[in-house]
Amino acid sequence: MTAHPREATVVLGIETSCDETAAAVVSGAQTVLSSVVSSQIELHARFGGVVPEIASRAHVDLLTPVIAQALVEAGLPDGGVEAVAATVGPGLIGSLLVGVSAAKALALVWDVPFVGVNHLEAHLYAGFLEDPSLELPVVVLLVSGGHTLLIHMEDHGRYRLLGQTIDDAAGEAFDKVARYLGLGYPGGPAIDRVAMDGDPEAIRFPRAMQDESYDFSFSGLKTAVVNHVRRHPEVGTADVAASFQEAVVDVLVTKAQRAAQAVGAKGMVLGGGVAANSVLRERFLDACTADGMHAFVPSRAMCTDNAAMVAAAGWWRLRSDGPTPLDAGGDPNLRLPVVT
Amino acid sequence: MIILGIESSTQQVGAAIGGHEGVLSAAHTSRGRRHAELLTPTIDFVRRSARIELHEISCVAVDLGPGLFTGLRVGIAAAKAMAHALRVPMIGVPSLDLLAFPVRHTSRLIVAAIDAKRGEVFYAFYRQVPGGVQRVSAHQLGSPDDLASELLATPDEVLMVGDGALRYHDAFDGLKRVELADQGFAHPSASSLVQLAHARALREQFVAAWELAPLYLRKPDAEINWTTRDEQGRAE
Ligand SMILES: [Zn+2]
Repeated sequence: MTAHPREATVVLGIETSCDETAAAVVSGAQTVLSSVVSSQIELHARFGGVVPEIASRAHVDLLTPVIAQALVEAGLPDGGVEAVAATVGPGLIGSLLVGVSAAKALALVWDVPFVGVNHLEAHLYAGFLEDPSLELPVVVLLVSGGHTLLIHMEDHGRYRLLGQTIDDAAGEAFDKVARYLGLGYPGGPAIDRVAMDGDPEAIRFPRAMQDESYDFSFSGLKTAVVNHVRRHPEVGTADVAASFQEAVVDVLVTKAQRAAQAVGAKGMVLGGGVAANSVLRERFLDACTADGMHAFVPSRAMCTDNAAMVAAAGWWRLRSDGPTPLDAGGDPNLRLPVVT
Repeated sequence: MIILGIESSTQQVGAAIGGHEGVLSAAHTSRGRRHAELLTPTIDFVRRSARIELHEISCVAVDLGPGLFTGLRVGIAAAKAMAHALRVPMIGVPSLDLLAFPVRHTSRLIVAAIDAKRGEVFYAFYRQVPGGVQRVSAHQLGSPDDLASELLATPDEVLMVGDGALRYHDAFDGLKRVELADQGFAHPSASSLVQLAHARALREQFVAAWELAPLYLRKPDAEINWTTRDEQGRAE
């Protein structure tokens, strides 16, 4: 059975793959009627990272109120949802199952289709949500705490994986360096803040994998930071943070730009939690302008985990694949469905 | 009044529908840890068997645990979502109550025990009362040997139920006056959930979806480690 969603089909999206409990209502993959995100950052901060069991417990407590708020803000407290989409992976399995179970229950009660959504695909669609003029093909740079991917999006649902990290994700590198510098958790915003007072040229950290490939590596950079601080204990934290950030952004943008030129993309899309980094956003836009390419840099709220992107990706998946059966579960290691 | 009951605190997933006329339909499946996959189809199956439309449901009852954390959350997340969408209240019942209820006709001391993994069991003691059972101890978490020592100290005849009793039967086999109920009583019953919830619904003992909280009885490891570290830090 393939249900054909209308241009204005109203989709409720649910996202619980990590430490954000989120629900959103989107009409026709384009119009965000509401988007509610309840962050658990404070619950995990003292542990220096997301604790899966604590995250799962919080999702159970927060999800119903978050869904209720999303429905009320969308002006749909009494129903009107025409499909329910939820992230089924990748992510923390215990957390994923909270959202999946709630979503399937809602689909059953409302007698509407359920759509399982790939979290990575949802991030790709965040760019479309805010800019309907986005024309394919595009190259997407997806950078978060768990992923660093360079993707050639040829068409809707048609992806080619150009490159990915061979060790740490970009967000992970930010967290580790922030912890080492004593800047706290989460590391991305902390380094972004401190780096504003530093000189990005102060230290020339190595740029790994400056070869033909589109793969990334960040563990060597982290080691270089640690070694530099050991050898030069007098160095200013702001300078270290700024120089580290410069090295990460430099590699990310250079490779994305090179990939976009190579595949003849019409535009470049930035996504994922690390895309909230102010220097990365700026440099990404500059690169697109220089190449005369259309740039899609979603608002910070749309880059970090949210459910509007899940609803939007759900609309597209519903159109291409139809509803997901109600006996679907979650998959912590779900990959982006790529063509080779 | 039509009540939907959902339980998923052990490796079993169950759902039942019933009301004034008793239990109209119930189904249980034990298929390893596949709670998320099985639950929605099971709910759909029992409501079709009972010839009930979901909007006729006036209360969603759910097993609160203790039990397997992931299974528990699957059931509670689904139950909360349904109650919210149907705009009906909820009733939460502990898993150990659901184990003890089917053996309520015994005059012996009933011990309900659920496998808590890591060599421990969740357990509680019950006594027969008119119309059901009453819990006469707190919900506890301990090793099978802890529980066996408690049983040694009681003068009562004891009937044990639950997958915790069966898994660690070695600890209880040698005890006089203690009998283990068989496999048929190993998991919480969704029918019992509907029956117990019905009695409470008549007394309007409802909670709202956002008020209902699982009974974990065990802190997340990170918090346990944190507390230990904290205490050690203070001692030094
Ligand atoms: Zn994400």
